[in-house]
Amino acid sequence: MSRFFFLLREAFVNLKRNFLVVAGAVLAVFISLSLAFGALVVNEILRLNTLAWQEGVHVIAFLRDEGSGGVPPGAHQALLDEVFTWEEVNDAFYVDKAQAWVEYQEIFAGQEELLEIDPTILPASIRIELVAIELHQSVKFKLEQQQQVVLNVSTAAEQIEQLQNLSNVLNVLGIGMAVVLGVSAVVLIANTIRLAIYARRDEVEIMKLVGASNWYIRIPFLLEGLIEGVVGAALAVFTVWLGATRLARASEGFALFRLDVSNQFFLRWGLLFIIFGAAAGVIGSLLGLSRYLREADGTGEDIPTGVA
Amino acid sequence: MIRLEHVTKVYEGGSVAARDVSLDIQKGEFVFLVGPSGSGKSTLIRLMLRDEGVTRGKIWVAGKDITTLPKWKIPYLRRSVGTVFQDYKLLPNKTVAENVSFALEVLGRPRSVIGPQVEQVLDLVGLADMAGRYPRQLSGGEQQRVSVARAFVNRPPIMLADEPTGNLDPKTSVGIMKLLDRINRTGTTIVMATHDFAIVDAMQRRVVALEKGVVTRDEHSGRYEQDQG
Repeated sequence: MSRFFFLLREAFVNLKRNFLVVAGAVLAVFISLSLAFGALVVNEILRLNTLAWQEGVHVIAFLRDEGSGGVPPGAHQALLDEVFTWEEVNDAFYVDKAQAWVEYQEIFAGQEELLEIDPTILPASIRIELVAIELHQSVKFKLEQQQQVVLNVSTAAEQIEQLQNLSNVLNVLGIGMAVVLGVSAVVLIANTIRLAIYARRDEVEIMKLVGASNWYIRIPFLLEGLIEGVVGAALAVFTVWLGATRLARASEGFALFRLDVSNQFFLRWGLLFIIFGAAAGVIGSLLGLSRYLREADGTGEDIPTGVA
Repeated sequence: MIRLEHVTKVYEGGSVAARDVSLDIQKGEFVFLVGPSGSGKSTLIRLMLRDEGVTRGKIWVAGKDITTLPKWKIPYLRRSVGTVFQDYKLLPNKTVAENVSFALEVLGRPRSVIGPQVEQVLDLVGLADMAGRYPRQLSGGEQQRVSVARAFVNRPPIMLADEPTGNLDPKTSVGIMKLLDRINRTGTTIVMATHDFAIVDAMQRRVVALEKGVVTRDEHSGRYEQDQG
């Protein structure tokens, strides 16, 4: 136990003593993982928004009033019943004139001049959710055939489809970016730790001289790498979380685009990033240490270890 | 205690540091390895420490063939061999006491053992009142005493010293030699590489002379022979 505390103490003493090099390693992890985690969060925001846009109403058919202009009573219900029979339709519902007025009031709440209209001019409508977004053209065409009842057809499906394609491209780009930045983080950590070890090669040499085993020499460096990786990754996760939550708060009420990512996402991915940071720190330390812990072969040609 | 059997060491590039060297060093002996720079003294020390491997031949240290020793066992060999070098090899950010206790801490000795043992060895080398100082606050001779204390704190049966007086003035060197002599009298085998003829002549111990990697002389109670330096 005293041995463990000695090694832990050595690691902390070294961290304190080589503050600048340690700060460099932490910064390397922080920058790489902030970029990678940021890319992941942006990707998540896009995913959530695409999902949100894909959900719910895809096509709206505004209807002429029943009992006027040749529209017989019951025509709205008849059309709704027919819409339900179309295979492209997943769900549909009817919004009458009264409900349309309520909706209008909600949308334009606080804008008195817009609320001073005659509620009866608002048309009833059928709201349709498609089985797949790309089926919007066919449904629109079918609705437009019903000119006697349908006033006009409105659909955002085309825009949603384009966004979906953009989101797919961004998804691939985001994953690629996260992988590249993740690998860069490991390389940066390995190099920084190698630099730290190079600065302390005399210490490693002395430890070897007094008979310390390789694992005994490794442990304080591994602990250092682990601490540097965890601190850098935790700072990256915290910074991205802070930035994202601030941005989400600032964009509240901005209906077109959602910027709020769930805390569960941050917790799950944040934890993974911290584990990745820790692993990168340990791997970096191992890579950095290997050449200083190499021992000479007992017999045969060999190159001197570099220990003077 | 130490046996070298037809040891040859050839470095990459072809320079020969040891050529067919055979030596038998008994327990409790004090052996000087002498010779001009490049004669192979330091190489022999490094070979005995398995800091380097031999090209041909065998080396036994404390009854073990260290040329066939697996790499993971090398630390165990070094725990039974104290080492002292010309450049002291002290950790600058540790105090005298910490530098000495470091050798015991890496062996996992409990603090209750480390404290008294360090105190005792610092007393032996005459640095008991400097335990809290850092190497930079000490003279060269004092730093070498710390190095000797660290090498001896574990009471190893063998001590290897590579030019331990190389950086010291003659008066300080005498102090270090007296210390090594005291340690030798406790039964510790000492092998010391040096080109300080005054010390070798004054000590009158076994002398192994090397030239271009070859043993040219092996005398008990020998002298340096000034013409070699």
